[in-house]
Amino acid sequence: MIELKGLTKRFGDFTAVDNINLQVETGEFFGLLGPNGAGKTTIISMISTVLLPSCGQVYIDGHKLDRKASEEKKKLGVITQEYSMRQDMTMDEVMQYQGKLYFLPKKVIKEKSDELLEFAGLSEFRKRTVRHLSGGMKRKLMICRALLVEPEILLLDEPTAGMDALSRRQMWNLLRKVNNQNMTIILTTHYMEEAQALCNRVALINSGKLQKLDSPAALIEEQGAFAVDEFLDEGTKSHFFKTKEEAIHFLESSDEQASFRATTLEDVFVECAGRRLL
Amino acid sequence: MGILTVLWEKWVEFRRDFYKISVAAIISPVMYLIIFGLGIQTTSHGEPYLHFLIPGIVAMATMTGSFGAIAQSMSVQRLYEKALDQVMVSPTPLWQFIVGQIIGGSLRGMYAGALILLLTSPIQTGLIFNGLSIFIMFLNGMVFSTIAVVLSFLAKSYSDAPRFTTYIIMPMSFLCNTFFSTDQLPAGFRQVISILPLSQSCDMIRKIANGQMISFFGIGILLIYLCIFGLIAMLFIYKKKNL
Repeated sequence: MIELKGLTKRFGDFTAVDNINLQVETGEFFGLLGPNGAGKTTIISMISTVLLPSCGQVYIDGHKLDRKASEEKKKLGVITQEYSMRQDMTMDEVMQYQGKLYFLPKKVIKEKSDELLEFAGLSEFRKRTVRHLSGGMKRKLMICRALLVEPEILLLDEPTAGMDALSRRQMWNLLRKVNNQNMTIILTTHYMEEAQALCNRVALINSGKLQKLDSPAALIEEQGAFAVDEFLDEGTKSHFFKTKEEAIHFLESSDEQASFRATTLEDVFVECAGRRLL
Repeated sequence: MGILTVLWEKWVEFRRDFYKISVAAIISPVMYLIIFGLGIQTTSHGEPYLHFLIPGIVAMATMTGSFGAIAQSMSVQRLYEKALDQVMVSPTPLWQFIVGQIIGGSLRGMYAGALILLLTSPIQTGLIFNGLSIFIMFLNGMVFSTIAVVLSFLAKSYSDAPRFTTYIIMPMSFLCNTFFSTDQLPAGFRQVISILPLSQSCDMIRKIANGQMISFFGIGILLIYLCIFGLIAMLFIYKKKNL
């Protein structure tokens, strides 16, 4: 279990993360959602100890997490938003380095690297340096690297950014698979359909503050499960309704061009972030 | 264990860039040897100047090799590649990462120094380079690797690493007993220069080369630098809030 207690991060006068309190249960698939600059990556960076909090603390299974906590860090695997790898290392070397940093035996590193790179379709490029890989390949390599050490907790910061639709679906399947093996996953993403499809619970973060915390279904229910979009001259205006009948009644009585649909997590996100679709 | 991992990473880097590293390590020292040792042929204390110069150049090559190997690589890893994040997240104790960097950097410095010794070996100088010289080279390399680690944590942009070289390494190269004895410097300035690590390393390597005894004061000075910058490096990696 991961626990964030009063987690706060300030950069000078700017508060990037403001007193976040939440718990992520073992085996949970948890999403951190929010607009750009909401503080999601800063939270992930604090859980991975790259940044230290200004206030508050992260606990893993009840133990305080800091840079000295080797036992707790052993449980963590991180896929950062940026390609945090030596650019001049080959794929094989990247995997070896990761394995060595986690004290894995040489034989295990070799076997697991073979398996993961094969699974990700990267085997034939394993002698290629990171610098010469495409963005999607780098992303896949980062995932292989994180999974090499079989972490109990996987932190994913925008893991599918830059991936094509097919690769993204493959990634979803992989993440579901590892989550089914009781791996706790914390995911930040800009793709709302990704969070809706994968996460048991999501936290909506805005301006560093926790705005909402619940399952995607519950958040959609709270917003109103049915939506009617009115296409006005100034843009699209969405209306949300608890029941289908209410939505259809509104649609029929509307003088504007309008359409009916199911509410999505993106609607919740847009409303929460205080934005309107244009 | 973590130390070996870092040394492995340094070995991968060295193996891949072997020719670039080797050529870069010898260009400046060889230029100095040609210009000051062979071009402007002069004497120092009744001996050919080359006898004075070679130990200084060896110490300087060790310094620049060690400093360059760490300052550049760690700044790039921290600011550009973000590869340091991989280490920060891992269970490898961070002190082992720092010690690995320091030893790895020092070995690179020793390699640069060894290349100079190899290149000057055909010249009949009668200078002595023994186990104690190697120890001083290693210690000198450790000091400058540690300084490089600290500076790479302070770097705010990629261009800071070469800037640090200009501010720290270049003045030391010229002032610290490498090309001329610090005895000739004005009082006050001389004392300041003489307690800098390269001055001590040059002095000790030169004394050993000439068959003289060295004082443990020099080793003490190097150890003090190593401890101070080592502690700062540990403080940064464990306590710096925004790495």
